[in-house]
Amino acid sequence: MLLWAARRVVVSLVLIWTVATVVFTVIHLVPGDPAELLLSSGGVAPDPAAVAELRERLGLDRPFLVQYGDFLSRLARGDLGTSMIDDHPIMDEVLLRLPRTLELIAAGAVLAVMIGIPVGTEAALRRGTVFDRATSATAALLLAVPIFVVGTLLVLVFAQWLRWMPAGGYVPLARDPWQHLTLLTMPALAIAKGLVAVVFRMTRAAVLDSLSRDFVRTARAKGLSPARILVHHVVRNAIIPVLTVLALHMGTLLGGTVLVEYVFNWPGLSTPLLKAVEARDYPMVIGIVLTISVLFVALNLVMDLVYAALDPRIRHA
Amino acid sequence: MTPTRRSLLAAGAALPFLRAWPARAQRQTGVLRFGLSSFPPSIQPWVNTGTAAATVKLLIHRGLVSFAPDGSLRGELAEAWSNDSPTSWTFRLRENALFQNGDRVTAEDIRWNLEQMASERSTAYHRAQAQRIARIETPDARTVRIVTAEPMVTLPLWCASYHMMMVSPRSPTGAGSLPVGAGPFVLKGQERGVSLDLEAFDRYYKPGLPRLRGIRMVAYADENLRVAALQAGDVDLIEYVPWQAMASIEADPKLRLDATDGPFMYLVFNATRPHLGDARIRRAIAHAIKREEIVKAAFFGRGSPLEGLPLMPGSAFHDPELASGWRYDPARARALLAEAGVPNGFTTSILATAQYGMHKDTAEVVQQNLAAVGIQAELRLPDWATRVTLGNRGQYDIAVMGTTTENNDPDGLSTLIDGSLAPSFVRSFGLRVPRIEELLAAGRAEFDGGKRRAIYAELQRIALAEAPIVGLAWRSQGYAMTPEVKGFKALGGALNFYSGITLEEASIG
Repeated sequence: MLLWAARRVVVSLVLIWTVATVVFTVIHLVPGDPAELLLSSGGVAPDPAAVAELRERLGLDRPFLVQYGDFLSRLARGDLGTSMIDDHPIMDEVLLRLPRTLELIAAGAVLAVMIGIPVGTEAALRRGTVFDRATSATAALLLAVPIFVVGTLLVLVFAQWLRWMPAGGYVPLARDPWQHLTLLTMPALAIAKGLVAVVFRMTRAAVLDSLSRDFVRTARAKGLSPARILVHHVVRNAIIPVLTVLALHMGTLLGGTVLVEYVFNWPGLSTPLLKAVEARDYPMVIGIVLTISVLFVALNLVMDLVYAALDPRIRHA
Repeated sequence: MTPTRRSLLAAGAALPFLRAWPARAQRQTGVLRFGLSSFPPSIQPWVNTGTAAATVKLLIHRGLVSFAPDGSLRGELAEAWSNDSPTSWTFRLRENALFQNGDRVTAEDIRWNLEQMASERSTAYHRAQAQRIARIETPDARTVRIVTAEPMVTLPLWCASYHMMMVSPRSPTGAGSLPVGAGPFVLKGQERGVSLDLEAFDRYYKPGLPRLRGIRMVAYADENLRVAALQAGDVDLIEYVPWQAMASIEADPKLRLDATDGPFMYLVFNATRPHLGDARIRRAIAHAIKREEIVKAAFFGRGSPLEGLPLMPGSAFHDPELASGWRYDPARARALLAEAGVPNGFTTSILATAQYGMHKDTAEVVQQNLAAVGIQAELRLPDWATRVTLGNRGQYDIAVMGTTTENNDPDGLSTLIDGSLAPSFVRSFGLRVPRIEELLAAGRAEFDGGKRRAIYAELQRIALAEAPIVGLAWRSQGYAMTPEVKGFKALGGALNFYSGITLEEASIG
């Protein structure tokens, strides 16, 4: 098991190095010079001497391989570098913003579980009824409607028409918990939209599957109450695949919060990534993409290790 | 119900949330909430990092002079200025001007600032202008004499730029530190990427100003959310009002729109590409474009056609006849094409960007209009960064560009039409018109108003014939606010992005 785990860790490290190299190469190949762009803000012509000076200061005048070697050496020391725009350490930016993105995803997942599992269970229990058809149709609609449409509608209705909510923004939890949660509500709802539908569908299918299993028939034959059978036997068994799918979707949401963060002005990791790409802020782009990749790889590694611990067939395969 | 440990813990955790609904952030008395179009990438005072940063700089810093709401020059750190000779300007500093660290602003400080801007390792936006200074004399603590290498009538205008702010030479240095300014507000804190909090500087040199206790600037990158935030009461004032929202804001009695024409769209050419080095072809293109369609398609009717060089109506240098020299005339366009030897047109490409709708929409209208006279143009719409690089390197045929001039003086046109300057995406590539360069230099050195007007009239006539750029449309630039905001004014023309300076006189409530 130890050897297998060590192999998996090495594979993960190679994967991270590959991602780092690909991102480093691609962002340097894309047209657009960071120094020119930084000094051309607002559509103005920068002084060529100032551009040359800035290029030198940013190290952009060095050969590509020298820059790459420097990047790898810093990465090995856990140093993501500093932003080309304002010299701000990228690790600080990531540590500041990543929790906000993770909070958004977690809030969306909690909402998805709170809505998707009970409604999915009820739809399975009332299979073929109007309720089942209506909820299934709603789930299809939620999956079909783009996230920016839902986001814009939420702002229109709750901020502009009803004036119940701020249109968007962010206040740190420590400064004002109530305001923080209020501002979290709409983006969390928007991000939960697709997850609710996924959780609903998975729950419905898994509950229907469990309901037809022998152990449920046996529980009924033993005279257990319907509620006890549902909670302790049906839902408990059905929930495992639901949570697995949820975990996988949360991983993909790490890179998918861009629109929600933009529409609601939620200052997570996506906004600086977009801005960094626009400005060709190489270290910032690489730092953020690498962070997301490391999280992905780590999540997969943990899942592999857990599965292997639970199922010996995997580690002997 | 018997209280349990769990229920008590839950009740305790819920206490902070026991507040009345709805949960809006309340405005602090005397604090204006300003919705910025983006979070400034940097607020270093001498570097140009966009208009949002410029607004913030106008709050924290002051230069020798500035622009008044009517567009004229007014004193700031300098209370008076005069030119002793064509190459010498003397600025008399205020006695009570202080940096925000409490130090008095002295002539030596001004000299230090200008020398830093001009230094070889400087990335200052106005480095080239600062390098035209031959020497700086400081006969006493309140007098600065700036001697330029060439006569420079525009020197005070450059000194009013928001990229020429004066900072304390004794500002803290090191990572994360910002230069200390002498403006009406002090930066008290910032949430990176989210907001900036500014507080009134109580020793500002203008008595009774600023009127506000503070300003909270919140960045809303999405223009629709910025409008929604204003309509929902989250902010009091927003910049960059999207054109599509201007009508609804005007119709809303609870809001006020202050918009003026200022920035503009135009075409630049790569004169090294087939046909485009011929002035007749460029003029044909100028006459082929129906500019009203651009105003309608790209700006929802919020703007006006630009049929000459971008000199604002109302300017002393504006001539109505010259300002419409490139009016829509497809017959004239076809005749010019025939005269240039391509009666059936030719194939070319238009570079714009898909990142900004106004650039893309403008390019589409130009493409259709050119097709109508036989010029088949393929659109190239990369992201903005790529478009800038392609423009700087001359890797395009025709390109759509949008900007504003440095100020309302015609010398601001130099950036756009002086072909002797280094290649840049803001001006045509490989296109030099020596007479234009001579006239720009002459206008810069001429102190007599009448003679300057004659110089720029001739320059406009030559530009109409040579078409080093082709004007397309003025676009409206707007601020929107609640009626409680008093004293804020959008400056006209090229100075629109200087409007933040009026926040020192603004009040709320």
